Amino acid sequence: MSDVATKARTRTVPAGGDYGYANARIRGMRSRLLDRSYLDMLIEAPDVKRMVQDLADTEYGPDLEETLIHGVDAANVDIALKNNMVRTFQKVLGFLNDDALYLVTTLLGRWDVFNLKTILRAKHMHLEVDEIADGLLPAGQLNEVDLEALSSVEDVRAVVDTAATWGLAFTAPLREGYTEYMKTGDLVSIELALDRYYAEWASRRLARRGANAKLARRVLATQIDVGNLVMVLRLQKEDVEDIDVADFFLPGGAIVGIDLYQELAGMSDIDEVLDRLRGTPYGRTLDEAATLFLEQNSIAVFERALEDLLTRRTLGLAKGDPLGVGVSVAYLWAKQNEVTNLRIIVKGKAVGMPTSRVREELILV
Amino acid sequence: MIKNRLAKWVFGSTFVVTTLIPTVAFAAEAEAASGEWQSYVAKAFAAAFAIGVSALAAGYAMARIGSAGAGTLAERPEVATFVIVLQALAELIVLLGFVAAILIVNMPVTPA
Repeated sequence: MSDVATKARTRTVPAGGDYGYANARIRGMRSRLLDRSYLDMLIEAPDVKRMVQDLADTEYGPDLEETLIHGVDAANVDIALKNNMVRTFQKVLGFLNDDALYLVTTLLGRWDVFNLKTILRAKHMHLEVDEIADGLLPAGQLNEVDLEALSSVEDVRAVVDTAATWGLAFTAPLREGYTEYMKTGDLVSIELALDRYYAEWASRRLARRGANAKLARRVLATQIDVGNLVMVLRLQKEDVEDIDVADFFLPGGAIVGIDLYQELAGMSDIDEVLDRLRGTPYGRTLDEAATLFLEQNSIAVFERALEDLLTRRTLGLAKGDPLGVGVSVAYLWAKQNEVTNLRIIVKGKAVGMPTSRVREELILV
Repeated sequence: MIKNRLAKWVFGSTFVVTTLIPTVAFAAEAEAASGEWQSYVAKAFAAAFAIGVSALAAGYAMARIGSAGAGTLAERPEVATFVIVLQALAELIVLLGFVAAILIVNMPVTPA
């Protein structure tokens, strides 16, 4: 992962820590995000064609117009939505000041990890390039072209080699995990190495003075906490005994340190874990999800609840300092959330999913 | 961040008040205590200080409002009038400083 903040700029942007211009612009863009009633209207649309007509009057209009020349179908709408998101992210990163750009790109690094993990999983399962593209979200520093190139290589080894050829900072964890992968045939080692690398890399980059860096550290720490909690819950569900749980720990969390992590992992069942977490900021969210867990018996329920909490907290940053980095971080998360919701609606429409089910799938926070 | 800014503003305002008021008081005292020319010099300094500080403050405010206004106009050109009004509001600061400077200069010189 190269240092984007030091990359050459094609035009002048506010230097240092002047957030006035960028934040005012982002607030203007934020006013054009789709509200809940608009999403409801799209859900109620009888088909994809009607949905496209409604979306044509919004920010997505130009991207839809450009992509739908090839035909109005769910796949093309999906591409248009992704294009819009990429364009918006590039636009925002283009006018952020140096300080904000540094912090925001560090936080967006999580999408690079997400995309790399998606490609590795797909290669492990020998999926086609088109199928992989569906699960990718080019919101990080690896753009759509990079991701397409990585998706089209032959296997997991080729992904690692390509990353090394490009000189990606992720090469070290990929190589480290790949050695283990060769022995076990299990992708967990690579995924874990990537997660740990990102957690350490981002924590190091955000270890700066100032309120904005502190805010970004808070977002990162919550992300890491969520990752650790999901891992603990998974380990509890799988009831594994012959492994060292500390190997799965990600450093840099706010609440879940190594001691609490090991204590939680050593507990007898999920109920005990939830009891122990009751006094923490995650207790209420997990308690609320516990009912659904009893019905579905899937850890995905907790994962979804914790991810929603993370999104809600990140979106809440917009209400903080009006001249801080929170405004831009919150907007980018809100935009990504909106595009994810629209993609869910489009796919739901395409496969004839009932509207009630589509509503359940949406991430409305 | 907000706390830091507030601290800066409180410090700044205290500095201005504690410097400006004694200067004006000194001008009045100088008039009473010594000759006429000293009081004119003191008044000139006080007036210069009043207009100088308020002009700097107005400049700072206009720069911040201007950059935010430019950002807003880039995304929402329909609020141009509102942005211009906000930009003009900051000019009031320097106008008030100007009035204060005039009042200081026109203070009557009372003989000792």
